This record gives sequence, C-alpha cells and structure tokens, in this order.
Amino acid sequence: MNRTMIAASNTLGQLQKQIDVISNNMANVETTGFKRGEASFTDLLVQQLNNQPNQAAEVGRLTPLGIRQGNGAKIGQIQNVQSQGSLKTTNRDLDVAFTKENLYFMIGVEEGNVIRLSRDGAFYLSPNGNENMLVTADGHTVLDENGNDIVIEGDIKEIQISDEGILKAITTDGGEQTFNLGVVSVQKPQFLEKLGDNLYGLPDNYDGLGVTADDVLTELTGALRTDISMKQGALESSNVDLSKEMTDLITAQRMYQFQSRSITMADQMLGLVNSIR
Amino acid sequence: MLRGFYTAASGMLTQQRRTEMLTNNMANANTPGYKADQSSVRSFPEMLLNRIADETIPNGNEKKVPSFAQVGSLNTGVYIQETNPLFKQGDIKQTDLKTDLALVHGEMPIDEETGVAGALFFTVQNGNGDVRYTRNGNFTLDGEGYLTTSGGYYVLDENNERIQLDNDQFTVSDNGVILQDAAQVAQIGIAYSNDPAGQLVKEGDGLFSADAELTNAYDEDDVFFTIKQGYIESSNVDAAQTMTEMLSVYRSFEANQKVLQAYDQSLNKTVNEVGKIG
Repeated sequence: MNRTMIAASNTLGQLQKQIDVISNNMANVETTGFKRGEASFTDLLVQQLNNQPNQAAEVGRLTPLGIRQGNGAKIGQIQNVQSQGSLKTTNRDLDVAFTKENLYFMIGVEEGNVIRLSRDGAFYLSPNGNENMLVTADGHTVLDENGNDIVIEGDIKEIQISDEGILKAITTDGGEQTFNLGVVSVQKPQFLEKLGDNLYGLPDNYDGLGVTADDVLTELTGALRTDISMKQGALESSNVDLSKEMTDLITAQRMYQFQSRSITMADQMLGLVNSIR
Repeated sequence: MLRGFYTAASGMLTQQRRTEMLTNNMANANTPGYKADQSSVRSFPEMLLNRIADETIPNGNEKKVPSFAQVGSLNTGVYIQETNPLFKQGDIKQTDLKTDLALVHGEMPIDEETGVAGALFFTVQNGNGDVRYTRNGNFTLDGEGYLTTSGGYYVLDENNERIQLDNDQFTVSDNGVILQDAAQVAQIGIAYSNDPAGQLVKEGDGLFSADAELTNAYDEDDVFFTIKQGYIESSNVDAAQTMTEMLSVYRSFEANQKVLQAYDQSLNKTVNEVGKIG
C-alpha cells in the first residue's frame, strides 16, 4: 500500500515545484528582459519485482520476466526559454533593447569584480562630481567591451546609442565621447544561472565541470560587433505568455488533484484492510 | 481448510499492485514521451480436485460411490503476471524550444504473430557508456555543447557518436539531419524495435534498456517516421481511462475484502459454534 502513497506524494512535491516555476513566470510578466522558465517532467526510478521466477510457468508472457513498477514523476529540468520578448517603445535615451536572441549586456558587480549578464537595458546615469557613470536600475555598473566602467565626463546634452552598441555622448561644450557597450553572445544559455535582479552568471563551479567561459559565451569585440543588434528608446518585455502559463497552471493543479485522489484511495484501501476484523 | 480464504487475499494484493501501477501512470500523465503501463492479471495454475473416500450410500442397496472421482478444477488465487508498456504514439505538443524533438510514427510494420506494431526511439548513452532508448525528446545542450537528455544522458547520432553543437541555433530536418550554419553536423540516431514489449525494459528517467542493440531505423525500408523540432511528444496516459480503472480496481479490492470477511465468519462459526455445549 505504501508504494501508492509514496509514488503519489513524490509526485505532489515535484508538481509543487512546477507550480513555483509557473507562479514566478507570472509574477515577472511585466519584468523587463525576463526570460521564462519551463519545467518538464521525467519518470522516477523504476524498480523490478521478480514476482514469478519460473519462466516455464509463465505462459503467454510478452515482456521479459519480472514486473516493473515506477515511483511517480520528477522534474527533469527547468529550461530557460530564450525567445525574444516584444519591444516596448519608451522614447527614453537611456533605454536599450536587444532585437536578437542570446545577446546580453555585461554588468559589473562588486563581489570580487565578477561579470554578470543581463537583458535589462533600462540604464541610468550615476553622477559623481563632473562625471556620470552608466549603471543599471540596481546601481551595478554597465561595462564596455574591455570590461571597464563607462564614465562620461562633462555636462551631457545628448546620448545616442547605435544599433551596433556604440554609445555616443555629446556634451554641452560640443565634445563627443564614444564607448563600445560590452555585449556577449551566449552559445549555451542553459548553462547560465539565474541570479535574480535580472542578472545571469556562470555557476560557481563551472571550472570543475570541465567547461570554460569561452565554451558558453563569446565576448563581441572587433569584427564580431557586427552581430550586435539593439534599439535605443525601447525596452524588451518579458517573454512570458500569460495564457500559456495559466493553462500550465490549470494542468498542474489537476495533476495535483489526481495525485491527492490516489492518496485518498490508498488510504481508503488501508481502511478496508483494517476493517477486515 | 477454506480454500478461498487465501484466494480472496491474493485478489486484494493484486488490486493493490494495480493501484500502484495506475498511480504511477497518473503521476506521469504530464511526462514527455512516457509510455503508460498496462497490467495483465492471471490466475494461479489450476489444480484438480479429487474425492478420495469410497462411500457406501446408506439406503439398503449397498450402492457405492466410486473412489478417486474428479470433482473438477479450481484456481486458488490471482496475481499480476506482467506490466506491459503501451507503445502507442502520444500527442504532439508545441514548445518552441529548439532543443525539443518529437518522434512521430508514420507507417509501422505490424508483427503478424502478436499484432503489435513496431516502435522507434531516440538512442542515448548513460553514465557507464551503455546505450539506452528513450521517447522523451526534451533535450538540452550542456556546457560543452553536447546534446543531452534532461537527465544528462548523451543523445547519440546514427553512428552511436555523441552530438556536439556550437549553440542552440540549429535546425533538425524531418529525417533527423541536424544543420548548423547550413552545414550538416550529424543525423540523430533512431532505433527501431519490431517487438517493443518483448525487447525493452523500463528503467526510469524515461529510459528503456534492451538486451541486444536495436536496429537502425534509417536502414528499415518499411518504417516511416518524422522528427519535429520545437515539439515534444506528450505522455500517452489517458487520464479518464486511468481514473475509471482506479475506481473499478478499488471496488474489486473492496469485494475481495468482503469475501475475506465472509470466510472469517464461517471460520468463526466452525470454531466457536459447531459443537457448542450448553
């Protein structure tokens, strides 16, 4: 009897995780540059019970000896769906959106000067005396192609960002400063880790996995910069499709009900056993 | 002894095991490529009952009833003989993920003896380097660019080699050829089994193992299939049917419990009431 209950409760726990993923997607339906996750299932370990060892007594069997029983389902993987979100025009000079999949801005984070990636192109200027530094909404610095902070000097009159990621700042005295925004193209997006705050990074132990940063991503410098495609004055919306998430949620909830029902049924069967005498 | 006592108990055990199997099917109603299990229930081997005593009928004619007459045959129990995966094609669901592949059966040869159609599988490699088969096409790229299953098993090409790709921007044609930057990288390995129930054993994690390596589906002339990129094959569990079966299994369990109780009452009468004094 326990097997029924165990299989059902195993599955309940995993369904709960799937619902967690769905609700996180729904919560981020309005988050700039958010990429939805998609949980998919696989079956849990199957055990073989040798209920009839004598092949001669088993007339008409189709399958190899023994019976095999599964123990429910588990989440196989939660994939990052990289599909392009739709563009929302904001007409703000410091908003940029990628128009191609798998491109990310390089963002500098204080912790040990590690480089993080982001699709969120809502940037700000952080003034410091006569200088302005380009930062994200959380105050992390936006890096140029060499991994340096972007610091604009003087009074800024206008900022232009070209489709290929060149930031041109025109100051009130007519001077011009240009910076190449740091952009990477990610080859194996499933290897990236979601870190919250719209940031992605390589997992801490990627070295131990026998993978180098170059395997996963390419920094777009020099001639490779022609691959960059972005648009100023727009932001990339989240790629969450609310109706799809809702459908998934309903399916997951029904699955949850089915599993609970199995537990109830197993419990009633135990009750029957108990009431034999 | 009351022969049916243990028969009823074995009936309860059988229904319990069927419940376990059905619960597992239901748990995997949302698992890509999952193949539902079906149970076949079989009675214990028959036994022949004999009358052993030679009796004289006390009616004055000295008539005798012959000895060792056969009464008839009886089964004293029931058990689950086998669980048999149903290799029927599951529905195809769109996912838009380039690493999701669905294997769609076209025309399949049907075994003349068993009436069962053949089945196709993706070929994968487990941690020990052994070949396994799966229908779950929910693949992904690992850090080194190998195409793997969600459990990390390497997906193999038609020469049983791992498939390495630069990134997830690749296309898979209907016949399994992987193109990256307009160049052919590999052809996905598809294995064909003409007797899937007899050759394949479920291992969990979506995998099947086989004693002997299956044949290459591309070499079979009468096997037709397509591979669809951006789709996955859903589980072939029928939720309504599974639920109905669960209910009937439950009632059968209940009926066997009632029979067991009835036998217990008979025993009670035998032990406590027959030959009661006072």
